[in-house]
Amino acid sequence: MPLDDEAVMTEVRAGDVGRLELLFDRHQPGLVRYFTYLTGNRALGEDLAQDAFFRVLKYRHTYQPGANFRAWLYQIGRNVYADHVGRHKQEVAMPSEAAEIRGSETPADREFQKKQEALLVRQALAALPGEKRELLILSRFQEMKYEEIATVLKCEVGTVKVRVYRAMRELSDRFFALSGEKAS
Amino acid sequence: MNCERIREQIPEALAGRLDAAARETLVEHLESCAGCRSEVAELNAVWRAMESLKSGKEEGPDPAAKARFLDLLEAYKAGMGIAIEMPVRPARSFMSRPAWQAAIAAGLLIAGIFAGRFAAQPRQESPEVAQLKGQVESLRQLVALSMMQQQSPGARLRGVSYSEQISQPDSQVQQALLYAVNHDTNVNVRLSAVDALQKFAGNPEVARAMVDAISVQDSPLVQVALIDMLVQINARSVTPAIAKLSKDLQVDEVVRQRAAWALERMGGTR
Repeated sequence: MPLDDEAVMTEVRAGDVGRLELLFDRHQPGLVRYFTYLTGNRALGEDLAQDAFFRVLKYRHTYQPGANFRAWLYQIGRNVYADHVGRHKQEVAMPSEAAEIRGSETPADREFQKKQEALLVRQALAALPGEKRELLILSRFQEMKYEEIATVLKCEVGTVKVRVYRAMRELSDRFFALSGEKAS
Repeated sequence: MNCERIREQIPEALAGRLDAAARETLVEHLESCAGCRSEVAELNAVWRAMESLKSGKEEGPDPAAKARFLDLLEAYKAGMGIAIEMPVRPARSFMSRPAWQAAIAAGLLIAGIFAGRFAAQPRQESPEVAQLKGQVESLRQLVALSMMQQQSPGARLRGVSYSEQISQPDSQVQQALLYAVNHDTNVNVRLSAVDALQKFAGNPEVARAMVDAISVQDSPLVQVALIDMLVQINARSVTPAIAKLSKDLQVDEVVRQRAAWALERMGGTR
């Protein structure tokens, strides 16, 4: 039976840093997706994920044995992103083509309406304040449960619940406003 | 249950994460509330539209990214090796570079002679041994300084780590580390350079330079690392500057809080 993330990270913390390769294999793709959704740039997403794993290595002694590894990794990921945004003050844009974050698995015969929806929701998501966008990425795209998001964001589960709803509400307003503009 | 509480549960319901009891309460409420039904319909439409943005799950990391990570891991392990083993032993990855091979070979030769002489006469350090010791130190400095000027962040990082093995680094190393803290484009190199500056704890000029570096940093992580290092080396001479930082609203909130914490820590040691 494979070791769980927490047991592996405890080994890394104890000095067996080579074991981090296993955690890299398990979590790097998800982390790249997270950064790609945030930045709209896949190559940048990979660089930031690399940076995050380096920090896991460097700050491995700060990992509390038994703590949820993925939540801790995403806490580090958020710091990496904050540093990146700090260095590049301008608002990070979403990709011009939704395909950039979908990868190559999208069926070629996608219906026109779905394409339109994807375009609109992407624009609406890009227009959301960063905090709300991040919440929806964690909840909808990374499929994290509220408990895990609360650990990542260091807040109460109830707060996550309210914030996700508000983020969805704002996304919905923007989505339908854009739809209206397109229709008129 | 009022509408507001019900609506907060909609995203969880759409994700299929509501437990049976909560789902039943929601359905019951929706049967009698047209407003909440309309809200579910709207959010459901957006939720489904988001599905089209979801990426497929990859089997594993991209091979190029994995290779980069393994290089980093090797470099890091080599750095740990330097720290654990004989300080003269250079990291494997840069031993293969022709430009350094001669210098490293010479260094090992000097180290070998030095080790032999030292083992034979452990209690007295002759002028000759002292001279050899100096040569080894100089060589380490040379290697560290050369690596810190490399284009690759990984090489610069190893250079910074290697500089920590120099027992008495001179002002050239100090300047190179301060330069890295202020100007290196890679955050990880800057962070490592901050750690390496611990060697210069006794030099008040370094403490002042570290305080100056805080204000020019664009990374809160590096700013916090600098503050932590100032606390670690107990640089009391810079407490007025830290106090100023803790009140500067232009500075990131986390950094301000850390500065306030640092003041407490340094004040407490008085």
